Amino acid sequence: MATVFYISSLIAIIATIMVITRHQPIHALLYLVVSFMAVAVIFLSVGAPFIAALEIIVYAGAIIVLFIFVTMMLNLGRETAVQEKQWLQPKVWAGPSVLAFVLLAQMVILLTKGNAAPMNMQIVEIKRVSVSLYGEYILALELAGFLLMAGIVGAAHIGKHKKKHLHRFLQEDNNVEEQFQKRDPVTIISEEKEAPEPVA
Amino acid sequence: MTPLQLTALLPYILLAAASIVVILLIAFKASHTVIQVVGFLLMCGVAVSLFAVKELLPVSILPLFEIDGFALLFTGLIIFCVLVVGLFSFIYFEEREENPKEYYILLFLSTLGAATMTISRHFISLFIGLEILSVSLYALIAYLRTRNNAVEAGMKYLVLAALSSAFLLFGMALIYMETGSMEFSAIAQKLGASSALFITGIGLMVVAIGFKLALVPFHFWAADVYQGAPSPVTSFIATVSKIGVFAVLLRFAQTIHLQSYPLAYFIFAAIAIISMIAGNLLALQQQNIKRLLAYSSISHFGYLLVAFLPGNAGSNEAVFFYLAAYSLTILSAFGIITLLSNRQQDADHPDFYRGLFWRNPLMATVLTAAMLSLAGIPLTAGFMGKFIVLTTGVRQGLWLPVLVLVVTSVFGLYYYLRIISLLFAEAPAAGPKEKTLHPFFYTATYTALIVLVLLLVWIGVFPSGVIEGIKAFL
Repeated sequence: MATVFYISSLIAIIATIMVITRHQPIHALLYLVVSFMAVAVIFLSVGAPFIAALEIIVYAGAIIVLFIFVTMMLNLGRETAVQEKQWLQPKVWAGPSVLAFVLLAQMVILLTKGNAAPMNMQIVEIKRVSVSLYGEYILALELAGFLLMAGIVGAAHIGKHKKKHLHRFLQEDNNVEEQFQKRDPVTIISEEKEAPEPVA
Repeated sequence: MTPLQLTALLPYILLAAASIVVILLIAFKASHTVIQVVGFLLMCGVAVSLFAVKELLPVSILPLFEIDGFALLFTGLIIFCVLVVGLFSFIYFEEREENPKEYYILLFLSTLGAATMTISRHFISLFIGLEILSVSLYALIAYLRTRNNAVEAGMKYLVLAALSSAFLLFGMALIYMETGSMEFSAIAQKLGASSALFITGIGLMVVAIGFKLALVPFHFWAADVYQGAPSPVTSFIATVSKIGVFAVLLRFAQTIHLQSYPLAYFIFAAIAIISMIAGNLLALQQQNIKRLLAYSSISHFGYLLVAFLPGNAGSNEAVFFYLAAYSLTILSAFGIITLLSNRQQDADHPDFYRGLFWRNPLMATVLTAAMLSLAGIPLTAGFMGKFIVLTTGVRQGLWLPVLVLVVTSVFGLYYYLRIISLLFAEAPAAGPKEKTLHPFFYTATYTALIVLVLLLVWIGVFPSGVIEGIKAFL
């Protein structure tokens, strides 16, 4: 299964290069998913299906979904809907899809024709992994918890918004505008281009 | 885990608990003052527990940790530095940041990372310790997020530290591939003649360690980060983070006899020599005092590597003594920078120091003592540190590094003395005096500075007591 290994490695490298050269975060994330999937196929090809599944579940699944949610939440606004339509052209998703399709084909070949254990190695049960993780390496696991805490506290501090104290006139202005929006959304949309930016 | 092992871990458990205690205090809306005082007491508790567990040692917690006198000594130095840095932080952040409390969580977490490295005997604990340290430092450097250069410095550190971690992991993977183990002692056993894979692995790990210690040619971040980070955080980077990394480097090198591999030895000797030369030359033209201290720290860690090269018990003593002297010195220098900083910017411009002696003789005296110690003038700790490093080098016959050390120290004198001459220059018209908001903490900070300087002189004049103390632990 050396060919599968080389093809997936190539895909992983191409996809990762695309990640760091894209300008739009969402486009980069699409390629990042492909990159993770390529790594998963590499694991599958050397006979480690459990790690391959973990790679998909943890990285391509959980982490990327978080990234995408955050990116989507950052892009709130009326203009973004139009912008998104412009961005969602075939040239954007064609690249990742082709790469993903190659990976899928490889996986199908692996699952149907691949021999069971291509590498001569000892098989470690999942149970033994978890027992050693919660046995002798328990302190490392707890320290990893502190590592996450450091990341979260740091991100929470740097991402925190400063409290804005508006002058009362500005606050009233805001309220008026909000009421106006609630009452008559249609006129707002039709006058989208002329409407001045609401005072933040 | 046996009760004995748990007891031996007590200082580290306390340290980890400190960050959680601070989180709880924030949740219950404790004031900045309360958090500062509780944090201080907790760190004192850690220091006391270090003495309490001293009798039990050495205890090893297989496979990750080894708690011995060596680890306690380095952890003790780290805790001492954090006590001082924490004290400086209060005034600094109280005035500048509307949200100074999370700072202490991050401070204690990064201390935990550095302390974990001192007891590591395994690549996994080394890496996790290093990552806890770096991840907390990213946020600490960019803590004043309204200042552009702080965010820039944090970003630079983030990218470079992440890259260096990748190098470290790849190096570890190569060594694991060669020896089939990640424990230092097991690596030492399974390692026969020096193989290409092993040396490549060591070379890649040197990149990461060189980055953390800001050794040439991995030093490019140092000046920008030192300048951009808040002054207390800069002093933390200059002391705690480097002590932790150096401790683990020492333990690793000692266990696998790193210095007996000619190529590895050559790499470290070369890094030491170019760090000493480049650090001192780059500092010569530097006006900004924080950048100057960054370059000076590059050259000081070059000196430290000269003591690291022999790789025997004597070199451990020399390294620890030098690190302790350097930490005392740099902490007192950064203490002055912190006190002089105003709301808008840190006191890194030479104008802050022009004629300081005529305005505030106490601060000027402390800074003068610190600069003299950095330059290695007799009667200061810096001189004794350099002397011991030189003795270690000469005993081993390392003539080239020792010669470079002496010559570059002379260059170093120029820029340290330039700052001192600035302090005694013609005084400009005194600006309006700023109101001191927290008289108690100002007094505490001044007391800490005076104690630091007295320690500097005491170690410089009577080093034998300290050396005996170090020998008793090692």
